[in-house]
Amino acid sequence: MPIEITDIERLAQILARSGVDTIEIEEPGLTLKLVVDTAARIAAPATPAAPTTDHFVTAKADVAGHFLAAHPWQDKPFVAPGERIEAGAIVGLVKIGLLYAPVVAPTAGTVDAVIGETGAMVGYGTPIVRIRPFN
Amino acid sequence: MIEILSVTGPASIQDLGRFDQYRFGVGTSGAMDDVALRAGNILLGNDENAAGIEIPMMPFSLRFGRDMAFALTGAGVEAEIAGRAVPPWWRSHARAADILNIKAMPHGARLYLAVSGGVDVPIVLGSRSTQFRGEFGGLNGRPLQVGDILPCATSTATIGELGVEPADITLARPNTAADETIVRVIVAGEYDGFDADTQALFWSSSWKITPQSNRYGYRLQGPAVKPKAPIEKRSHGIVPGVIQIPPNGQPIIQMRDAQTSGGYPKIATVIRADLWRLGQARLGSKLRFEQTAYTDALAAEAEMSAYLERLRANVRLVEETRTCR
Repeated sequence: MPIEITDIERLAQILARSGVDTIEIEEPGLTLKLVVDTAARIAAPATPAAPTTDHFVTAKADVAGHFLAAHPWQDKPFVAPGERIEAGAIVGLVKIGLLYAPVVAPTAGTVDAVIGETGAMVGYGTPIVRIRPFN
Repeated sequence: MIEILSVTGPASIQDLGRFDQYRFGVGTSGAMDDVALRAGNILLGNDENAAGIEIPMMPFSLRFGRDMAFALTGAGVEAEIAGRAVPPWWRSHARAADILNIKAMPHGARLYLAVSGGVDVPIVLGSRSTQFRGEFGGLNGRPLQVGDILPCATSTATIGELGVEPADITLARPNTAADETIVRVIVAGEYDGFDADTQALFWSSSWKITPQSNRYGYRLQGPAVKPKAPIEKRSHGIVPGVIQIPPNGQPIIQMRDAQTSGGYPKIATVIRADLWRLGQARLGSKLRFEQTAYTDALAAEAEMSAYLERLRANVRLVEETRTCR
């Protein structure tokens, strides 16, 4: 479904009204990122992209809630640095109400770092685990 | 369909129970942890009374005959589907010929496997639950065996992986030690037949759940609790949760496969809202009784219902969001 300019205008208005400053929409073959240009954001220094970013793939949260690195009944986190994981492996949970939504690995590889911290609030697109893909 | 590949202990097919035949002396049967079975069915969008498999011992494994969504609730287990780990209180998807392997049960005492559409054994006297005593219901009225083929109702629903918070966490009781279960009870008909010291002993003791405990009843071990004078009663109607005191003074809690009548004096009854906690209490672990009032028992039931209602609402929200995309 193509996104029209009017859709973008409408989304920007919704963002400004709701106090949300960023939205990212991903569809097959299409990515839209809208950033509301608030004064605070201009004052804040831009986060420099890690120079090695392009060698990694990031598992991201796809829903807002509290991140859990391990199931509350299990001591061991879902993944640890150095661990080899398959595509689709559960790397953590996002707790929303009584739901535990999985964060899954988009690709097979070796876990480079678990970025998410248990209990931290995450949102759509928050990086959770950095993965070094096989080859 | 599902094929049982390995089974340890008396695994059985259970729904919520058989409630209309009690007056004819037919016990309820049904899931020992009915909250867990409901949660599994809610995760799958099933009727909450759909039959699942109650699994009390590990290891256990089965093979799915076709693509099927399933949920694991109740005990916390180490489980894998086609080599992928399945977290506790979780729904996932199996492909035809995938094997579900359950290796260990570090938490709780009974695992529930629910499948999309439910296990489709015949309804007998209003329920699919296995009635061990009468040897009917479930699959030929008996525990599951290696090689059993379980028919499953057809369901084409495709769903993503999702977990829910275990009832044990949401409905946690204060001041409960790790290897201890506290259940709330209301005093029963013969409570006054015990003197004050004996009553106090009943409340203060930490009771051991002996290995002679099962779906019929839990036999407890602790100090002897004996009435002032022997109480001889004719057999009368009893329900799951009733705590009887036989002549040796060691309490017996009647569970889901209990007889519908008995003659031992009854000291107390576990409230319905805490029966699922008993269902998850492990053999050899400790059990304590907390005296409660009828109104508090109703409040506990409302709290349990509220948890299930939140589960329904939360899971429904996920499905609605999915269909909007």
